Amino acid sequence: MENTAKPVRKWDPIVKLTHWGVALVIVSNALIVGEGSIAHIYAGYFLAALIALRLLWGLIGSANARFSAFPPNPVAALGHARDIVAGRKEAHASHNPLGALMAYALWACLLVVIGSGIAMAGAPPAITTPVSVSQLVSEGEEEEGEGEHDEYGEGGEEGEGEEIFEEVHEIAVNLLYILIFLHIGGVALETARSGRRTVTAMLPGGR
Amino acid sequence: MSTPLKPRQRAAGRTLGDRRVTLVAGVVVVQAVAAIFFLADAVVDIAEDGWGWHVISEAAIAFALLAGVVAGAYHTRYMVERARRDAEALTIARGALAEQLQARFEEWKLTAAESDVALLSLKGFETAEISRLRNVAEGTVRAQLTSIYAKSGVSSRHGLLSQFFDDLIELGDA
Repeated sequence: MENTAKPVRKWDPIVKLTHWGVALVIVSNALIVGEGSIAHIYAGYFLAALIALRLLWGLIGSANARFSAFPPNPVAALGHARDIVAGRKEAHASHNPLGALMAYALWACLLVVIGSGIAMAGAPPAITTPVSVSQLVSEGEEEEGEGEHDEYGEGGEEGEGEEIFEEVHEIAVNLLYILIFLHIGGVALETARSGRRTVTAMLPGGR
Repeated sequence: MSTPLKPRQRAAGRTLGDRRVTLVAGVVVVQAVAAIFFLADAVVDIAEDGWGWHVISEAAIAFALLAGVVAGAYHTRYMVERARRDAEALTIARGALAEQLQARFEEWKLTAAESDVALLSLKGFETAEISRLRNVAEGTVRAQLTSIYAKSGVSSRHGLLSQFFDDLIELGDA
């Protein structure tokens, strides 16, 4: 009931929008659009904007969203892990210490994914002629040969460089999947421990 | 204290505020996306054509977009923090008012049932609604209200309300 409610602990709209925007891009780029397709590259830039905004928000955002509210602290994270094992519960206004580490890990991973992706793809490709949706989402050309990428690349020794970027991109993305898996597991665990607020705090409305 | 609510106005007010913050936040997100694409475009243009009027104007627009993102973020933060402060202030005020009500009810020596009825009445419930909420006859509620008015030295619901508002308004002026 409303007049027994404590001050509402929910994420602010920037956190929610960037969180679900990032989730949407990852799902889209992993499952829906083809690797290296035009849509994939645009989604990547979209992702870059969301992450940039979230990191800016970490500096100048609302109290719970700022980095200072959840500094990366492995010692506190260990303590939190012990609390979980011992069945102790503690309320955290922002991320809990383990969740904070996860947030930084996800961001670091996403930055590598974004950086390597932009290094491969260059600027968002111009969509000049009317194209069909299938063209937009179909896989981009492989780097081997043709030099189609000269258009975006700096020319020269890009062949080898792009291969490295591709490797990095793939490794980082796979690491990202593992982190997301752990993230969802962590949320499930915290929900089981402390109740639905863990999830509802990130949902629209958030009550 | 967990009493029934006259929930309509309050719920609407809160959602409107939430929506306003979300709208501003949404605009900030769209601006951020636009800024990134524009910035990427400007960088490519600089790499390809070097500096020129075209690039300078593009850079200016990109800068304006970025400034808009930062300003929008600051504004969103202001709105979020203000909403949080308002909620906290409301919680504190609510607690204080509840204490004040309880103190007055005790001072007037209202019975437990009368206190409940007085509270519901102050919250704006009509006699019929109170009787439904408390599962008693309307006549009982009316009798209890009469007793409440007598004990508090007023003759109507308005008088009862003014017993509390009088204090608040004086406090506000002082």
